[in-house]
Amino acid sequence: MPRFSLPSVAPRQDAPVWDRAAAAHVLRRVGFGGDETAVTRAVEAGFESTLAELENRRDHAPSLVGPAVEKLVSLGNLVPLQSRWMSLILGDGAPLLERVTLMWHGHFATSNAKLGDVRMMHVQNELFRSKGLGDFRELFHAVAKDPAMLVWLDGNQNRVGAPNENFAREVMELFGLGIQGGYTEKDIQEAARAFSGWSVAGRAFEFRAEHHDKGEKKLFGRGGVYSGEQAIDRVLEHPSCPRWIAWRLLDTFVKPDPEEALVQRVADVLVEEKWHIGRTLGRLFRDPVFLSREARRARIAGPVELVVGLVLATRAEIPPVDAVRAAGVMGQTLFMPPTVKGWDGGRAWIDPGTWLARHNWLTDFALAKGLDAAAAFGPAKRTGAVDAVCRVLVPEGIDDSMRAALQSAADSAHSDGHALHKVAALVITSPEYHLV
Amino acid sequence: MSSTSFPRRSFLVGGVRLSAIGAAASSLANGAFAHASRIARNTEPGGERILVVIQLTGGNDGLNTVIPHSQDAYYRARPTLGQKPNAVHQLDEHVGLHPKLGGLAELYRDGQMAIVHGVGHPNSNRSHFRSMEIWHTAEPFRPVGRVGWLGNLADQLLAEAPGTLPALSVGGRESVLSMRGTTATPPTVPDDRGFRLARTSEQISAERARLSATERDLQGSSKGRTADQLAFLRMTARTAYDAAERMSKITSADAKIAYPDTPLGKELRLVGQLIRGGFGTRIYHVSLGGFDTHASQASVHGARMEQLNGALTAFQRNLMEAGCSEQVTTFVFSEFGRRVEENGSRGTDHGRGNPVLLLGGSLRAGQHGTRPDLTDLVQGDIPSTTDFRGLYRQLEADWMGLEPFASEKVDAPKIV
Repeated sequence: MPRFSLPSVAPRQDAPVWDRAAAAHVLRRVGFGGDETAVTRAVEAGFESTLAELENRRDHAPSLVGPAVEKLVSLGNLVPLQSRWMSLILGDGAPLLERVTLMWHGHFATSNAKLGDVRMMHVQNELFRSKGLGDFRELFHAVAKDPAMLVWLDGNQNRVGAPNENFAREVMELFGLGIQGGYTEKDIQEAARAFSGWSVAGRAFEFRAEHHDKGEKKLFGRGGVYSGEQAIDRVLEHPSCPRWIAWRLLDTFVKPDPEEALVQRVADVLVEEKWHIGRTLGRLFRDPVFLSREARRARIAGPVELVVGLVLATRAEIPPVDAVRAAGVMGQTLFMPPTVKGWDGGRAWIDPGTWLARHNWLTDFALAKGLDAAAAFGPAKRTGAVDAVCRVLVPEGIDDSMRAALQSAADSAHSDGHALHKVAALVITSPEYHLV
Repeated sequence: MSSTSFPRRSFLVGGVRLSAIGAAASSLANGAFAHASRIARNTEPGGERILVVIQLTGGNDGLNTVIPHSQDAYYRARPTLGQKPNAVHQLDEHVGLHPKLGGLAELYRDGQMAIVHGVGHPNSNRSHFRSMEIWHTAEPFRPVGRVGWLGNLADQLLAEAPGTLPALSVGGRESVLSMRGTTATPPTVPDDRGFRLARTSEQISAERARLSATERDLQGSSKGRTADQLAFLRMTARTAYDAAERMSKITSADAKIAYPDTPLGKELRLVGQLIRGGFGTRIYHVSLGGFDTHASQASVHGARMEQLNGALTAFQRNLMEAGCSEQVTTFVFSEFGRRVEENGSRGTDHGRGNPVLLLGGSLRAGQHGTRPDLTDLVQGDIPSTTDFRGLYRQLEADWMGLEPFASEKVDAPKIV
């Protein structure tokens, strides 16, 4: 059973039972999910071992690009890069690392739509991989000097006398403090002065001293002759910063709209752990809130989560590029977040158009291509089809009205195999399945 | 674990009964449907006003769209790209339309079209990305907006009628910034066939309907986060299925109208079908790309003009025949115009002021704003003499009857 280790004590509640539902929750949240065997193994191994496996699986190369893909990337083709990352997410990589990399890709959102430079996009992704589970302060400093980021936010066009505040604004609003992080327009202007002279030359960061504003700047009420690096340090010292990052972790791993007290609690842990993301997450996963009822199935699955979770659960063999495209049709194209804010996530994933995109891809997957029912659910007669499918896709169980509808779908199928496909199609197109 | 030991509580955890959520969602959805049909009635001729925005992406060469055929400076600056006076569709002694815009010239003569000269925005840096952002968010000074001007309108319409589809993008997969709202996420119809269900889903349609029906009949109250999320998902799913069904009815009943077989033609055919069929959406967004003509411009730009002309003419004529042209205003813009002087590659580089075209039966037809004088340029560009935000304001407040997005009031010629 989990040991709980966040500082101040969370509201008391009954200790959650370590069952298939709990195990599936952990697999879905720390990684992208797993099949029936993975759930069974997790139940047997226990919470702690399951978690340790997801956190620390390092038997796979964490690097995104091998020699074969490198050549294609150098030609400026985004698709091999997207496919390679998807193959790591689909199980060739370490689950938590891939999830955290996707989180930072959204947090420090940069799109190849503006950049048009696959190499730079690749370099940025490697940065998320190498530092994403380590000290956030290091990550922040490195991303701020990342060439893709500087080009994306026009940080490379910021000179003394001709400031460009775009980068400075996002350093506060999106990366460090949050939109209500307690900074002013003046702070942004002053930070922009501190970042002046930062530039990109030949896909590498370059500091051009002649373009740097060497005067005194005032940030968050304190004056100093700040450099760009020092401006980032000042942002990191701001009390909103650990809260903003804690919010991001909670939103990604626990539940949407986390309450203020919980955010502060996790922010305190983050500081206590010297900004180490991996250790902070480790403590968060072992906190009661992580397995709590209010966290279960509370998040709306993003397209990548949805597609990958289904592929893993059903052991489907689909080319990574198809998964990339499927997620794209549903509104999440890797390396192409829609705005500087990344993917808004949550309810913004779902509108009537994206719902139909989900519905259509999922029914095609279940009924036309992708799903191998025997591999996914084992052999089953139509009388056992509902249980066979739900055991894999809904370990939490279903209620009677749902069961009756699923059973009638199985009864009207033209074969035992067809029954499994029909039941699966109904389950995965039900709104419930889109909560993870 | 055997199948019989599954907890027999709700489908999902959280102690929330499926039935309870279904009931909550259906009461929301029923309200939405009631409103949708009310809107549908209002879009009969004489009903609620509709705004169609057509984005020409890449920087349309406005100088070769609305052509100053009387100015020698035009022919001096455009030795290879200039359109001869006798080829231009002359609207008056000063300006005419590109040779491929004959249909629009007729619409102009029929009082269905307005031209605003020299439209642009302050703080231009000639970047496509930045300029489009400014047009989308109506904010030339703050770096990056999160909400677009059409999204703001959609938010207001959605607040009046939850669960409806106040705005739609047609074509393309990526959502455009102009359409993003704070609460509204206007969907994109991926192609000209409209929302539709995959054929495979016919195999489960009976059970899907049965499930929805079951939920509708059950009583109960919902609470908690999971319940809220489910209610939201259910409502959106119903709106989606309902939209797909209504779209398919409308488009199959109205499939004969002839539109050009081009991407824009097919997309505008869908918009026209939905408007005439009383679908209920009040804001449509359509894009046409390929206007970034730095080299060998003549043929590329000519093809774009031809596509634009064919699609817009068919669309407007269609609305006129159906008697609903007076409830629709179409706004055609591009992020910037191009340099007056052609470059060394028989193309043109990024410029500034550009004409905006409007179509509709309720417009102040004719020309507005300051006709460019090509002997009086700003750094080789046609200056921006009308701030687009002044046009937006009229479309938002005077046309749609909604709150404008930009707080700053800027003057512009009256267009509606």
